[in-house]
Amino acid sequence: MQLEQLLQKHFGYPSFRPGQKEVIEQLLNGRDTIALLPTGMGKSLCYQLPAYILNKPVLIISPLLSLMQDQVDQMKQFGEKRAVALNSFLNRQQKQHVMNSLHNFRFIFISPEMLVQPQVKNRLNQLELALIVVDEAHCISQWGFDFRPDYLKIGDVLKENRPPVLALSATATEKVLEDIRRFLKMKEPFEYIHSVDRPNIRYGKKIFPSKEEKTQWLLNHVSHTQGPGIIYTRSRKRTDEIASLLLELGLSASSYHGGKDAEDRQFIQQQFIEGALDWIVATNAFGMGVHKADVRQIIHDTMPSNVADYMQEVGRAGRDGKDAVAILLYSDGDEEVVRFIAGEDLPNEAQMELYDEYVRRNIHPKEMMHNGLISETSFRVLHYWMGLYPKEQVKSIFRQMVMEKYRSINDMLSIIKSEGCIREQLVHYFGQKLERKPEHCCEHCGIDYGEFLLPRTETHLKKKTFTWQIRLRQILLGTD
Amino acid sequence: MIFRYLVLDILKILQKERTISSPYHLLKGKRSGQTIQDVGIFRLHPYFGILPKLSRNKYDEEIQNLVEQHFIHITKKSFQLTEKGLRFLRQHEPLPLNGWQYRGNEHIFFSRLSLIVQSLSHAREEVMSFNPIQKDESVQQWVRSFLIKNHYKSGLLAHNLYDEMLQSLGRAKISEQAKEIVVKRLTGIRMPGFTWEQISRELEMPELDVQIMYVACLHQWLNEILVGKGQYPYLFEMAQDIRVEVPLTESAYHTVLLFRQGYSIEQISRIRKLKKSTIEDHLVELAINDPSFPIERFIKREDIEQVLKAVQHYQSKKLKFLHEALPHLSYFQLRLALVRGETVCN
Ligand SMILES: [Zn+2]
Repeated sequence: MQLEQLLQKHFGYPSFRPGQKEVIEQLLNGRDTIALLPTGMGKSLCYQLPAYILNKPVLIISPLLSLMQDQVDQMKQFGEKRAVALNSFLNRQQKQHVMNSLHNFRFIFISPEMLVQPQVKNRLNQLELALIVVDEAHCISQWGFDFRPDYLKIGDVLKENRPPVLALSATATEKVLEDIRRFLKMKEPFEYIHSVDRPNIRYGKKIFPSKEEKTQWLLNHVSHTQGPGIIYTRSRKRTDEIASLLLELGLSASSYHGGKDAEDRQFIQQQFIEGALDWIVATNAFGMGVHKADVRQIIHDTMPSNVADYMQEVGRAGRDGKDAVAILLYSDGDEEVVRFIAGEDLPNEAQMELYDEYVRRNIHPKEMMHNGLISETSFRVLHYWMGLYPKEQVKSIFRQMVMEKYRSINDMLSIIKSEGCIREQLVHYFGQKLERKPEHCCEHCGIDYGEFLLPRTETHLKKKTFTWQIRLRQILLGTD
Repeated sequence: MIFRYLVLDILKILQKERTISSPYHLLKGKRSGQTIQDVGIFRLHPYFGILPKLSRNKYDEEIQNLVEQHFIHITKKSFQLTEKGLRFLRQHEPLPLNGWQYRGNEHIFFSRLSLIVQSLSHAREEVMSFNPIQKDESVQQWVRSFLIKNHYKSGLLAHNLYDEMLQSLGRAKISEQAKEIVVKRLTGIRMPGFTWEQISRELEMPELDVQIMYVACLHQWLNEILVGKGQYPYLFEMAQDIRVEVPLTESAYHTVLLFRQGYSIEQISRIRKLKKSTIEDHLVELAINDPSFPIERFIKREDIEQVLKAVQHYQSKKLKFLHEALPHLSYFQLRLALVRGETVCN
């Protein structure tokens, strides 16, 4: 059967999206593959279709527990019951149950730390897998911003005779690609690299002398233009601050960050997706797993810490292919804050000394975390490196990491400060060539915002206050 | 205002007896000997564990405000309500809470209910895939089997559940506003729920107060469901294992098992490798919860009467005072007399 027919049969789609077919063909030929596809371009289909065609289980290694759970939930929503997530959320009994019935699953999601447990490793070795997928593969790069030490261990688990490996990521520089090839021990992989350019997104940029003027502009802009939109900020505090200012102006907005109650976060997502909420003010916690095609605006309240993050966040606009605008706001000194935060989640030298001392005194270094002397993320990274190298060497590794982070910040900053075409610079950053500049390309090529942003229509926020009896009836029985 | 009322009410009961932190531990539901004994000694059952996520900062802020606005004043070892504080309490109604018996399990009941309601709402329009509002796997499993067992696809379940909810919530002994809050936390197809912040803005009430009303409403609703079980079979099923009938901490439970097999305090202490005083804490906990616990095995009836008289006389339940006044009684005996004395003597 033709691939298109199989696609129709299993998913009901008549045709592939760019890149999918090429990637699947190579995988079916048994070749290792790296696919750089932007979020929302059907990355997961690249392993789902082969799973049905080869009719063997697929192992998917995924970095974030919540993301993993989302993916399993989504598969279940679409009727695929044979999906499971193997991670530290499972208790001993659940884990045992999953392990015993592993061969019955079609999609096995697993976290890297689970993957290296001997019991799990042995069990997986007994299975005949169709594919091994490494999702968010850029996390393997030590010099990347999303580095996960556990990812380096994936290479150790890969046996000599293994099925093809598929490395997936939204964006990666050549340096990161090199790390992916090397640590995943890929043999002359096929590489599909989708153009990072999104022609329907217009790149705006506004520079302000002070934070106050920036906030003023933001409030004014949001009061006069139409959403739906997402405003990205750097801290929970700033997120809440902007959201309350917008609410006071009578706009429909809400803040979203990891500090909110889990149900609240779901309500906000649902309200946003259904159009009951125009604006979400969020830390970067918002976006993964949220599928909304008609986001018209993305505003960055301050500079992002690297170009890849920026592209990923901007990429949440205009998934429906219609015009969308991304505006980056910058005021003098924003980079200081970003630099400060960048250093914050890496362990500092005092913590390295302390770690050493704990070990010498025969105390488990984990106690540092319990004593509130180090954050969980920092500890995870520190623990990994201290287990590999002596202290002095670790110090120099982290010095290099900080330098690398600073360099990424500077890369972003130079795009902001440059007078050149923003689109061109973004595309070049990922080692690609821009084929064609759209009209109203960016702030420097010239944008007439009026062409893309509709004036805000005063939706009279009708305060429909129902009694609880009526609300209950509507939820359970419908309006009629 | 509601949070303030709660804190002040607890402070009033504990004034001159305990430190300023005691209400905090009580509201958070700290499972320590001291907090649990206080529940028994001072009859603080309604407030136990009402706000498990309360932050120390938030609490300290409220205390600070109470001091600055002269509702309480802090003394060297304790604190006392002012006339203004007492007046505030008289002017407000207490909320009908039942923390001791629900122990936070009311949230499990609501998780089950909200996922069932969300599922039925989507099933009505034959939408089988949606993002489940509850992520906890055990809740999802519970709901899945509930829905299958009760033939949710027929549409009858949604109607019956609606009737049950309308009746039982209608009868729950609490304000309409509290009921509005609970129903706003439900979600359905094209009808997303509301965040605490959104409800708080709409009702012009602090978020914490909204959450306390929500908890109180769940308690009252559960009371109605459990009392009128025959009338609300579906809700009754969802409320299974929610109310704790003998609410004991895990460790106390093991001690009680041995105690009921006839072991003495010393023997239990040896078997469990725990201090004698810890075992005594466990027995006091049992005495608080189990009306049939034979406290007279440990303290004579006339001694109990003496303790009660001393409490009257000194107007205090402070153990140190009582021990000075009645040196022949141990702290353990005093505590037993305090938590259960009245029931034995009346
Ligand atoms: Zn341009």
